[in-house]
Amino acid sequence: MSKWYQLQGAENDVVISTKVSIARNVKGYNFTVKLNSEEKYEIADKIDEILDKKLPGKFVSTPMNEVGRDLQISLAECNLVSPEFISFAEGRTLVTTEDESLSIMVCEEDHLKIQSLLPGLELEKAYELSNTLDTLLDEDLEFAFDKKLGYLTQCPTNIGTAMRASVTLQLPALSMRGQIPRLASMVSKLGLVLTGAYGEADNPVGSLFQLSNQVTLGISEEAAIENLKSISLSIVDQERITRNELMNSLKFQDILWRSIGTLKNARVISFGEFMEALAIAKVGISNGEIKVPCERMNELIFTMQPATLNVRFGQSLDRQVRDVKRAEAIRKIFE
Amino acid sequence: MLCQNCGNAEATTHIKRIINGEATEVHLCYNCAEHLGYANMFSGFGFNISNMLQNFFPEFTRALPSLDTSERCPTCGTSFEEVVRTGMMGCADCYSVFYEKLKPSLSRIHGRATHVGKSGAYQIESSASPKLEDTVIRLKTELDEAVKVQNFELAAKLRDEIKALEGGAQNV
Repeated sequence: MSKWYQLQGAENDVVISTKVSIARNVKGYNFTVKLNSEEKYEIADKIDEILDKKLPGKFVSTPMNEVGRDLQISLAECNLVSPEFISFAEGRTLVTTEDESLSIMVCEEDHLKIQSLLPGLELEKAYELSNTLDTLLDEDLEFAFDKKLGYLTQCPTNIGTAMRASVTLQLPALSMRGQIPRLASMVSKLGLVLTGAYGEADNPVGSLFQLSNQVTLGISEEAAIENLKSISLSIVDQERITRNELMNSLKFQDILWRSIGTLKNARVISFGEFMEALAIAKVGISNGEIKVPCERMNELIFTMQPATLNVRFGQSLDRQVRDVKRAEAIRKIFE
Repeated sequence: MLCQNCGNAEATTHIKRIINGEATEVHLCYNCAEHLGYANMFSGFGFNISNMLQNFFPEFTRALPSLDTSERCPTCGTSFEEVVRTGMMGCADCYSVFYEKLKPSLSRIHGRATHVGKSGAYQIESSASPKLEDTVIRLKTELDEAVKVQNFELAAKLRDEIKALEGGAQNV
């Protein structure tokens, strides 16, 4: 069965993915920091029981300590679990649909983190998925809630809706033009945060950025989603305009075609080098210079990561071997 | 610059987050950054470095030695000092037990806002009674403290308040 990131999503020349997470804690249990493993698994069992009854066969439940290290890291690479979740596997369970678009991290920071992942800019759809699962679980589990403070979470920064929505944006043109700091300060005034997804905050690998809501108290879920969506769309517009401008420069065209050359021809390529070339090639895609569909390119951002490649080939590959396998897979897409 | 987490290695990862217009900077070495999830491409939203959280509780971290550490949540046993040190609440009841002490920090994080979003099926039916229980729990903790420091005048007042609330609840 295909994974969520292999499908097509809206605005996917700029937006890689959308994620909506909702944190919940079951009443009658202490927060995770004060629970032993037995109690943590008890919560996972309760969730399994409800899902088996209401949505039989839709979810698979996996205790993290029964999973190999490569698969654990691959789950984090594919954005399904947080690095914190796999840093200590005992007591933690991942409940997920087969395509991984809807999942629950059990006993990460909070008892439940219900999360939906979709390709492209799909905020309303992603919220609807998470919200529906939350409502369904809420009928049987009682969640910690206060009328004034909203849903109660282990960390007081998340109380209220306890919802974080985020979109991952690839912004090579705005990065090249040095527009990121200005953008980050603009969105912060609107209650959002823009941060590098990988590496340095201002200049992340592959120009991948994450834009997410920061405010959880005093704003409804729908308003937060709407706010994030309209600002995402305006960033998408700015990125496209800047990409068009860049295409007028001979100097940039040279960089673009060299990057495409790397993707089409490299025999050995690291993940970092691949991400840099991909980000630049994206500028050409928006302008019709490359005919490879965006979803095929975006999929590579997940599948070409080290541990995910190991899982694909069923063994922990030597770094050099992995770089060769990666180059082969990329060439197939760009041929 | 040395890593703010381990204090041993040179900081190579510099993270600046702007939350509600307030900038927070963290400097970490490669190992700590990786361990804490900053080196990952798609880090989730739950960044829980206690240092960072202490930025939200400056008024308490500065005054730590003088904090009364004897006050504990009756449900989970967490002390307020623990909440400040870790940035984590021990259970849902901690919010009502430590509510007054948390108030300044909560309004620094969230403004003076109150919840306007979703409330679950269960909460709509019985939102009033749990609130009342929370208040009684808080008052009882205060009563214990008052007795401990032999402030009997306050203790008598608190006892009457608890009685009135519990009586009221039974009449509902």
